[in-house]
Amino acid sequence: MGDWLSEVANWWFAAVALAMGYAAYRVVTSANVVHAVLALVATLGGSAVLFLLLGAEFVVWTVVLVYIGAVIVLFLFGIMITRAPLGYEAELDHPPKTKALAAIVAGAMFLLIGWTLVDAFGTEEVTASVTTVGDIGLQLFGRFVLPFEVVSLVLLAALIGGIVLARQDPVDIEDQR
Amino acid sequence: MSALFDYHALAPELILAFTVMAVLAVDLMPVPKYYAAVTGLVGLFASIIPLLTLALCSELSFCSDNGARLLFGDSYVVDTFSLVLKGLFLVSAFISLLLAVGYVESDRYYQGEYYFLLLASVFGAVVMASSRDLISIFVGLELVSGPAFLLAGWRKGDARSNEAALKFFIVGVLSAAILLFGMSLIYGVTGELTFSGIRAATVGGELPAVFTLGVLFVLMGFAFKVSAVPFHFWTPDTYEGAPTPVTAYLSVGSKAAGFVGLLVICYSAFANMRDIWGPALWIIAVASMTLGNLIAVRQTNVIRLLGYSSIAQGGFMLAPFAVASMVEGVELEGALFATVTYLLFYAFMNLGAFGVVMAGMSKVKSAELSSWSGMAQYAPGLSMLVVIFFFALAGVPPLAGWFAKLVMFQAIISGAPNVWAVLLGVIAAVNAVVAFFYYAKVVKTVWMDSVPVEIPAAELGGSGLNPALALALGITAIATIVTGLFPGVLSFFGEATRTFASGF
Amino acid sequence: MIVNFWVTLGIKMALVLGVMLVGALVSIFGELKISAHMQSRIGPYFAGGRWGWAQPLADGLKFIQKEEIIPDTVDVRVFKLAPYVVLMGTMAIYVVIPFGPDMVAGNLDLGVFYVLAISSISTVGVLMAGWSSGNKYSLMGGLRAAAQLIAYELPLVLAVVGVVILAGTLSLNGIVEAQAQWQWFGVTPEWLNVIPPYLILQAVGFAIFLTASLAELSRTPFDMPIAESELVMGYLTEYSGLRFTMFFLGEYAGMVALAAIASTLFLGGYWLPFVSDDLLNFIGPVVLITKIALLVFLFIWMRWTFPRLREDQLQQLAWRILIPVALANIVVTAVLKVVF
Repeated sequence: MGDWLSEVANWWFAAVALAMGYAAYRVVTSANVVHAVLALVATLGGSAVLFLLLGAEFVVWTVVLVYIGAVIVLFLFGIMITRAPLGYEAELDHPPKTKALAAIVAGAMFLLIGWTLVDAFGTEEVTASVTTVGDIGLQLFGRFVLPFEVVSLVLLAALIGGIVLARQDPVDIEDQR
Repeated sequence: MSALFDYHALAPELILAFTVMAVLAVDLMPVPKYYAAVTGLVGLFASIIPLLTLALCSELSFCSDNGARLLFGDSYVVDTFSLVLKGLFLVSAFISLLLAVGYVESDRYYQGEYYFLLLASVFGAVVMASSRDLISIFVGLELVSGPAFLLAGWRKGDARSNEAALKFFIVGVLSAAILLFGMSLIYGVTGELTFSGIRAATVGGELPAVFTLGVLFVLMGFAFKVSAVPFHFWTPDTYEGAPTPVTAYLSVGSKAAGFVGLLVICYSAFANMRDIWGPALWIIAVASMTLGNLIAVRQTNVIRLLGYSSIAQGGFMLAPFAVASMVEGVELEGALFATVTYLLFYAFMNLGAFGVVMAGMSKVKSAELSSWSGMAQYAPGLSMLVVIFFFALAGVPPLAGWFAKLVMFQAIISGAPNVWAVLLGVIAAVNAVVAFFYYAKVVKTVWMDSVPVEIPAAELGGSGLNPALALALGITAIATIVTGLFPGVLSFFGEATRTFASGF
Repeated sequence: MIVNFWVTLGIKMALVLGVMLVGALVSIFGELKISAHMQSRIGPYFAGGRWGWAQPLADGLKFIQKEEIIPDTVDVRVFKLAPYVVLMGTMAIYVVIPFGPDMVAGNLDLGVFYVLAISSISTVGVLMAGWSSGNKYSLMGGLRAAAQLIAYELPLVLAVVGVVILAGTLSLNGIVEAQAQWQWFGVTPEWLNVIPPYLILQAVGFAIFLTASLAELSRTPFDMPIAESELVMGYLTEYSGLRFTMFFLGEYAGMVALAAIASTLFLGGYWLPFVSDDLLNFIGPVVLITKIALLVFLFIWMRWTFPRLREDQLQQLAWRILIPVALANIVVTAVLKVVF
């Protein structure tokens, strides 16, 4: 324990992790959708900081660009363009039974993941061999090139299919005229 | 050490990927829309050619080696197992595309995008057949299911199609999450991504309980994809609501992809974990065949009936998995052989059965069994096809299904001294009889009942078959009859995959 | 050692803040004067004596001492936080701008990527401001801004990819050095690079980057989010006092920041031929600031020249023209890089 306390990085970790935990709690309990999403921003930002502490810079800025810059903005955009009243909504609250069940599931997940991690790695120090952007690029276009390219097709298919399902059919527009 | 890039080994994937893009490009050009389908058919045909050259490599002059080709650090393997299954996917995609052409042309559907998504999904299945690491197989599975979600909702104006897509999507996403969680647990414990690595890491030694949990989660994830009980809830509604050619693809292509994932991951990555997945799959197999068959008996809609029947057939395919923990060596190979062979036979029969349903629906505009009664009086040819495919699914010799059932029972009996294997055999036998009952009910309705009075006779038997649908029906019917008489034609391919079970 | 680290950090933060504030104030003054002359006016001439140079300072003081009005219906916490989020996204860009070989607050291995990632945080702030104001004009302004920022983030990122491919690095210092050492067909002397090589090779990318920057900054002709004739003042409508000043400063600081990034990526940054690295640390800032000033002038010039686009035209420009052209630019650049 003494070792743990003497390391400055551990204090940073503790602070960020606690803040993240609180933000994540607010995501679930907030009775205002926009507040919940903003708490999610804080949670994701916290995870970015944790990666920064680990020295995984590329992951940090990917989290910021993809999650905060794109996913969250789309969340907010979607919420605001449909309905986003100020103040609190009672219907977002759940009965105590549901809450208890959710708490049990979440606690079980936490125990499971925590136990797995400790069981699998223990106090062993894990050193990352691939950290710089160049190395990541070489890995992506070498060993992992196939899944990488397949993912691009997944996205293309989702994009085209999504547009087809969501768009107003040209025929329907003509019908209306 | 494996070669980094082997163009010959990847030729089927590359041609298929090019085809997928070409279909989009053709759709953009000012030509009739069915050109896109023709492009897809040509591309599928072209990508079968390198499969043959790869399989016959030792016979050809320009080809150097013949063994399994390991690519990308052993994460992608082209061997006879994957070649056979790629062939299955490409051929069943060919037939699914033929089934679809007339259907999507008949109404206001987006056609080019339909073919694009279908081929993209097939591409994912082809990638899955060769994937030998967690990332590739997961990404492949996502590519199989992603387009399928969208295709299920292709009838945009129809609330049932929307319901089908939404149910399928939500269940699919849930199963993907479970699968991914299981995979992350396995990676966390072993620190390995490739199946060969995981297999090596699990030899002998004590494994933490979390690993077992990971294995079970992965099985659950795939069980959703193959719609095995108790993860089948989405199947009947999705099958009924989705456009019929999509249902045909879901029940064959997408389901086979799930089975391939299960086969690959069970027999290679979890080869040392047979004690875990054997019993688990025993339960799932028994539940699937029993529940699927019992509910199918009460169905009055042909598509729902086929939906439950495909759940039950999935149970038959899972049965050989269940005995894998009880047997070794040649008999273990026999279990794999049984599943693959069943899959190969099932593909033709089931695609044919859906083809018949589509043809029947184009005649009577309904999939309700009651409105099909007496069809033999005005459409004898179609009624003959009903007999062929439904009896084949039931396993009546000399139609294709009997041989699939035979190898399945052989595999189960190979574990015989074990009481669980015997019990499984008995349950499967009872189920085969129950299944015969409802398949025969369809045939009886078509041939022996009288034409319903509320349908005016003049409206019946009018329109001829769409040529593409007729071609698909012809191919599947001939395949069903020929492979029933000479099962060696298909089981030869099943034999080729045997060695996959005993190591690589 | 630890103390030393904190002192250095403090100095760097102060410098970044100083550079940002001065840059913003000077460009505000520039805007006032240039717009005035373009419209045959004199502009500010009283404050500070000669040319009215102290006008932005006086404006700032005025804003600070004004009462900050917070309407009843706003969501107070989000409303108060929003300007900080917007300003933070802009301020963080200044950290990686290289003013000389060593004159940079933080030389990140992933400089360009960092800039694009961190600047995207501002979008969240804009949406927060628009929603929390509890005002229809604000909400519509916020939504317009977000739609615009999402649409133009893509061409901005894609335009940079061409430069990154040529330079082979994501570090901003590395990109400047790559431009300094560029050789046309392997024989040309280095000093020729005073004509920035990427300005010629990536002319398309530069044009896309500038256009997208204008949109990211919500400046005319892309100022629909705060279009005063339609939305009063968009997401800024309910802001006043110090918080309004922060948005105002953030806008001009963002302009300077993006101009600095553009100068670094496409115009050769701080580099001059025949000058040693040590000397470049002193001359470099001057060179870079000159380039920034040119680009800022260009931005201001455009504002007072072009009329505002319509919302659908804006989206079409991004999705139908800029993104396809940027993708084509990447393909061509990559092919040429491999061929030569």
